[in-house]
Amino acid sequence: MADKGSDPIALWHTMIGEMEKGFNAFANQTMTSPEFSKAMNQAGGASAGAQKQFGDFMEKYLLNMNLPSRAQMIGMAERLQNIESQLNEIKVMLQQMNAGSASSAYSVAPRPPRTKRPPAPSAAAPPIGEPK
Amino acid sequence: MNAPAALDLASIPERIQSEVQRAIQRSIKGAEYFSSSGPTLGSTPKDILHARGTMNLYHYRPLADEVYRVPVLIVMATTNRGYILDMIPGQSFIEFLLRRGYDVYMLDWMAPKPEEKSLGMEDYVLDFIPDCIRRVQADSGEQDISVIGYCFGGVLSLLYGSIFNDGPMKNLICFTTPIDFRELKLFHNFADRRYFDVDGLVDSVGNVPPEMILSSFEMLRPAARMTSQIQLWENIWNDEYVKSYRMFDRWATDTLPLAGEYFRAITKDLMWDNKLFNDTMTVGGRKADIADIKVPILHAVAEHDHIVPYEAARHLITKVGSEDKEEVMLKGGHVSLVAGANAVKRLWPKLDSWLAGRSI
Repeated sequence: MADKGSDPIALWHTMIGEMEKGFNAFANQTMTSPEFSKAMNQAGGASAGAQKQFGDFMEKYLLNMNLPSRAQMIGMAERLQNIESQLNEIKVMLQQMNAGSASSAYSVAPRPPRTKRPPAPSAAAPPIGEPK
Repeated sequence: MNAPAALDLASIPERIQSEVQRAIQRSIKGAEYFSSSGPTLGSTPKDILHARGTMNLYHYRPLADEVYRVPVLIVMATTNRGYILDMIPGQSFIEFLLRRGYDVYMLDWMAPKPEEKSLGMEDYVLDFIPDCIRRVQADSGEQDISVIGYCFGGVLSLLYGSIFNDGPMKNLICFTTPIDFRELKLFHNFADRRYFDVDGLVDSVGNVPPEMILSSFEMLRPAARMTSQIQLWENIWNDEYVKSYRMFDRWATDTLPLAGEYFRAITKDLMWDNKLFNDTMTVGGRKADIADIKVPILHAVAEHDHIVPYEAARHLITKVGSEDKEEVMLKGGHVSLVAGANAVKRLWPKLDSWLAGRSI
């Protein structure tokens, strides 16, 4: 295998990684300045005000045109998401039923007893990480 | 500096062949990527125990024959969806807890509706969390509850624990929880009180839009999105990489709006006045000093966390009043600490070994 120093693909990966680090570091340094905050908030404030006015205008326009507004579309998307997650749950339950699992009868099944004890120290997972 | 190694000529044909195969795979998989949806996330079976506006309380169905006496309530961060802790089977923190014998509940958030813009910090700390605690007590039949808070969910849990310090919280676990908001240097600068008109923003838009929250997160690492796209294209032949990319990308961009008054309180009390760190925080007129927390507490922080740097989190353990307290620093970033292949090996077993003996 080629050494990392002579492998063009590895060199490309290193270059991308270094470029990302360098750009992030430079941008972060710039973004900690008060000038950046001032410019960002001036632009953001103007844009929020304009966005609000435009949003109000569009809301009225869409209402007159008998079309749904963005807020209504978001509401619908949220409901669809709920339906989607319920369908996923049903799918998982069906898969479990097919696999002969008893968990489909959860609602009527008794809950497991709250009697579990921690495993003996020797069987416990080894500590991971560096406590500080 | 090392001299560049000599080019290994013998390996070149093999390398070209492998790259050509990958290029072909990229074209095939690239087409698949755009024509298919990602993996199903958050599929561990659960029941909605209670839903009220922005608040959802789930109970996950047990996967063990026997569970610990003390149930666990996870308080999710208000900016993101809870399925980061329930990605796919085998990479789900929730599934891990269930299999290890914990009875798991989660307080997850939906996008607050425009009419919920008046929800403030007191609604979250004095209403939503206590309401969920009561419901978990009623559902489980147990008085004691362990609380796990992720990121800002950790801040809400700390505030709750400070005020309701005589119970029923039995154990507290915080993941990457900031308390010194001056040390969130970029967020602090974005919200510089001289230039950031939080009143003007909240009064004009109501709830703070998710695009604004997402872009402020992305500004912390402005080159990350571009390089992640490059890495995706390079690895698109690799199904595991693509699956993982889709899971995390979907979650990261699925940001929630924040209720206007709540955002105003975060900005003024935490970002500007750093009240949690200065021991002057109040919620709904009630003092919230984390020195009043006396229950066992574990704080897990990530070594390479660019959202909550260690400096912003490190005083938590010294400031809480608990005698039984531990901080653990693990490799990883803000998200990889709690989810993904590395969390499976690092944080989750550590948490289990800490919590098991305190859950009986």
